[in-house]
Amino acid sequence: MREVAIIGVGHTKFGRLNDKSLLDLLCEASLEAIEDSNTSNTDFDSVYVASMLAETLNHMTGVASALVDRIGLLPAAADHIKNGPASGGSAIKNAFYAIASGACELVLVSGAEKMTHITLPGGVTSAVATMTHHNAERIHGASLPSFAGLLTRSYMEKYNVPKEWITSIAVKNHRNGLNNPYAHFQKEITLKKAMESPIIADPLQLYDICPISDGAAAIVMCDANIAKKYCDSPILITGVGQATDTHIIYEREDLTVLNALRICSKQAYDMAKKTPNDIDVFEAHDAFTILEAIQSEDIGFFKKGEGAKAAHEGLTEIGGKIPINPSGGLKARGHPLGATGVAQVIELVWQLRGEAGKRQVADADTGITCNFGGFGNNIVSILVERM
Amino acid sequence: MNNKEKLEGIKCKKCFYLQHISHLRCLKCKNDTFDTVEAKGDCILLTYTILHAPPMEFRDKKYYILGVVQFENGMKALGQIWPKENLIIGMKLKPIYEKVCNDLDGNEVNAYVFK
Repeated sequence: MREVAIIGVGHTKFGRLNDKSLLDLLCEASLEAIEDSNTSNTDFDSVYVASMLAETLNHMTGVASALVDRIGLLPAAADHIKNGPASGGSAIKNAFYAIASGACELVLVSGAEKMTHITLPGGVTSAVATMTHHNAERIHGASLPSFAGLLTRSYMEKYNVPKEWITSIAVKNHRNGLNNPYAHFQKEITLKKAMESPIIADPLQLYDICPISDGAAAIVMCDANIAKKYCDSPILITGVGQATDTHIIYEREDLTVLNALRICSKQAYDMAKKTPNDIDVFEAHDAFTILEAIQSEDIGFFKKGEGAKAAHEGLTEIGGKIPINPSGGLKARGHPLGATGVAQVIELVWQLRGEAGKRQVADADTGITCNFGGFGNNIVSILVERM
Repeated sequence: MNNKEKLEGIKCKKCFYLQHISHLRCLKCKNDTFDTVEAKGDCILLTYTILHAPPMEFRDKKYYILGVVQFENGMKALGQIWPKENLIIGMKLKPIYEKVCNDLDGNEVNAYVFK
């Protein structure tokens, strides 16, 4: 396989962006990535667009075809990738294999979601809940927050973990997001405030849960052999992995284990010939605080049951043993579903380029992501390194 | 509403793995022949959450409790838990077939709840 490089990135502000459509956001991030990669006058072979709910929330199909037309990339191949909240990671994986196989040389990946205009109570929750198993889960009133609540209680019971340790992850991610100009929330919160916030899915509270957001993120990828023609500091994608788990969450032997993450991260580590000890920074999918704790275990940084304790003890802070979510994560950067997997990789690109400003992880050479689809039943992991 | 509906799973005829009735092939061995297994007796509560932000179909309720239960034969299920207080992991519950909501088309949805 050919080596694959990232040569440019584009990232809109995440948050409530009332005056921009889904397509506006995709265009903004894509053109910024094209400019950043010095490919403005170059033909692209393929474009992958990640968006989970374009049809449901934006009444739009053919979004990839519309993007290539709007930004002048005709006649590039254009595909719309939909893999729930892991759509962005899936799009990058597909672009990686298109280049690695030799089929494509220059590819754009653009992920976006436009969500905040849905004001009907429970509207977005219901749209996202269509991912759940209809007969076993959905008709009973299950939603993704409810799964996170079930998981949090199981984890606290099994490993005797106080809720404060789990919620400390939100406090850390808000602190990191303060220094991310693209973040939905740029404000610190205290543990006291988070622990006094309203219950949403007991024992999870408001500040344990990411917001819904508008936003887009895009990257330009190419054959690494030609990367330096466009860019002085290309970042290599050296490992990718993807794996699935049971659709019905209670059919997993242990609810607190993310088997799909164990498998897909091993695929990424093995492809890159790396181990968890080689990783300098991790972008986790903290849609709920409990997920960052458990992902930090199943991706190999901490023993089972010790992820929340590690966060509480500061081991996942910038400057800690393994910095997690210096971007602010989904909790503070926000979670425009299709954009998230791409934004995670962009944060790693900025970290590895040394362009992350006040949230910079010192001497970051290697990073990994967890992009979490469904409720852990389809997970993508991307491992990147400095060239 | 009635209590005649059965709460059923399927057991693989080859490897005896017990799973939800929606599977067409065994999750463990890919075999496609099964015996139907009925949940019987009480079940115990494995975990639960109190959901204060329901999906649209359930917005007539201020909150409700969802839990995962396990029967003596190993079968698991997710459903609403109707005791509102003094919930303890490991407590015994009984399955009852009840109306749980109206779907977005206004149709009554019935399912097992655990009392």
